[in-house]
Amino acid sequence: MFEEYAKYIDVGTLNELSKLAEELKGVRVLHVNSTKMGGGVAEILHRMVPLMNELGIETRWEVIKGDIEFFKVTKKIHNLLHMPGRESLSHQDIITYMRHTYENVAAIDTDYYDVIFIHDPQPLGLIVKKREGQKWIWRCHIDVSTPDEETWKFLEMFVNGYDGGIFHIPEFVREGVRIPAFIIPPSIDPLHDKNIPLEEGFIRETLERFGIDPERPIVLQVSRFDRLKDPFGVIEAYRIVKRRYDCQLVLAGSFADDDPEGAQVYREVLEAKGGDEDIFVLNLPPDSHREINALQRSATVVVQKSIREGFGLVVSEAMWKGKPVVGSNIGGIRRQIINGVTGYLVSSIEGTAYRVKQLLANDKSREEMGRNAHLRVKHSFLITRHLKDYLLVIHRLLKNP
Amino acid sequence: MNVFVFKSELWTAQYTGIKVNTLAAFTRVLKEIDDDTIYYHLYRNLFEYHFLPTDYGNSFAYWMAENGFPVLAEKFSAIDLIECVCISDLREAMLNILHSGIDGFERICKPFYFIRAVRKVVDTGVRAKDIEEFKEGLNKVGVHSLFHHLVTSRLVHGEPTNDFSRWLRSIGEEEKADRIEKIDLMAYSLYEVRDRILRILES
Repeated sequence: MFEEYAKYIDVGTLNELSKLAEELKGVRVLHVNSTKMGGGVAEILHRMVPLMNELGIETRWEVIKGDIEFFKVTKKIHNLLHMPGRESLSHQDIITYMRHTYENVAAIDTDYYDVIFIHDPQPLGLIVKKREGQKWIWRCHIDVSTPDEETWKFLEMFVNGYDGGIFHIPEFVREGVRIPAFIIPPSIDPLHDKNIPLEEGFIRETLERFGIDPERPIVLQVSRFDRLKDPFGVIEAYRIVKRRYDCQLVLAGSFADDDPEGAQVYREVLEAKGGDEDIFVLNLPPDSHREINALQRSATVVVQKSIREGFGLVVSEAMWKGKPVVGSNIGGIRRQIINGVTGYLVSSIEGTAYRVKQLLANDKSREEMGRNAHLRVKHSFLITRHLKDYLLVIHRLLKNP
Repeated sequence: MNVFVFKSELWTAQYTGIKVNTLAAFTRVLKEIDDDTIYYHLYRNLFEYHFLPTDYGNSFAYWMAENGFPVLAEKFSAIDLIECVCISDLREAMLNILHSGIDGFERICKPFYFIRAVRKVVDTGVRAKDIEEFKEGLNKVGVHSLFHHLVTSRLVHGEPTNDFSRWLRSIGEEEKADRIEKIDLMAYSLYEVRDRILRILES
């Protein structure tokens, strides 16, 4: 598998990765998270774990177990870390969290390993099992900079027991984190169905299946149906653009059956679309990777007008396909887009419309920015870079503590 | 026989835990912060974005531009990283710019996060005994190997030359060594630099 990446990054860089891995031969690594399926963390681990093994680093992946009560609590913790204020953590929640943590402590063998990566807050409490000589790393995939104070206090005692933390961007690091905080953005996998090259026929067929005209410009936003992704703002921006430019707007995403808010937002987006036949609101099954890939490849301009974002890797996915992205000047999006070079950073509906118009009007700058966008992802947001970062953190903690 | 060993360097980033939101605080931190942090912010563009036409040369300059200090941003951007052979000179150059009468030192800005480079040098396993093998080696290694031998080596040795030129001189190729030394690394991407070096070696 490792050699397959040589199609996308230069051989010299792959060779450097192998050399770095050679220095870590014999090190045993364990990743622990809360799910094998669904979500960006599992997606990356499905590829990261075999890659690390292929490089000669014995690596395993375990998933914690829990009943519906436990996952309700961890979902609540997630929300409280990300968006405080709506609810609070009760004593019963803490008991539930600790009870399942101790069940997982008994069930998961961590003693065999030298380095343990714990992903996100759900398995965070496993740190109580740390033995001497091991290095435990908390890989935090969410923004914990402004959490609910009580929730953070509860988690902080676990966090500061780790040997290191990994955060997407420095803005996400909570003050009071006393462990070394490495800054490592997430990545996309060029070999995933979401990102592989597609045949023209499949792209065209996909568009036609949804009734989208392949011959006319397409403005696209891919995101779940969530107010924080501001689909209504995108529609407003599109309406400003539409006064002067012929184009279609595609809002593609999904919502789970157990997500009542998603269903509500979807209905409201349909209402906002009204009778406009050039707006396509596509609620796709979560495994529609090739369809999303096809939509991104057929887009003229991609938009990501989120109000708040974990990192927003969908921006890198579009950039990888050579598309300039007009994205909100926030968090992870501003780390991906270089303003005026790989796309545009915007802060308003009007600004979004203005930049989309500029790109629709100018084929040459669209192509140039698209090329730059592809290069940007190739150098900074592919899984091979992510792997290199993990190996460097392991090296730093084990060899230069 | 004088064998050239191609090395390369890999980077990741560690947050120092220090963030500032005024130019005054920035200046105070700049006086004290460790060399690896200055190295990260000044050289990252050259290391990572060398292939893109970015507006400013380093992340200090970007922060200044974003916060309404365009002249400072320009001056910070214009610091010639290749002329300096030690971080303390660069630190002094930056402090001199900051002390040259700038208004708005206490104005609240967006935060700047100081990040430290966590670096690891690896032996790529590629060797060269003569010019032919050296050319082959240049084509085999990644561009970060060029960064290591052309940029970092100056700081490591504290000398205004680079590993490639030093080795070429050791095998009597004085003129080629001089020409490689004159390549403006700030003006070209590392891919372009590689092409230029190959052309010099073939001439």
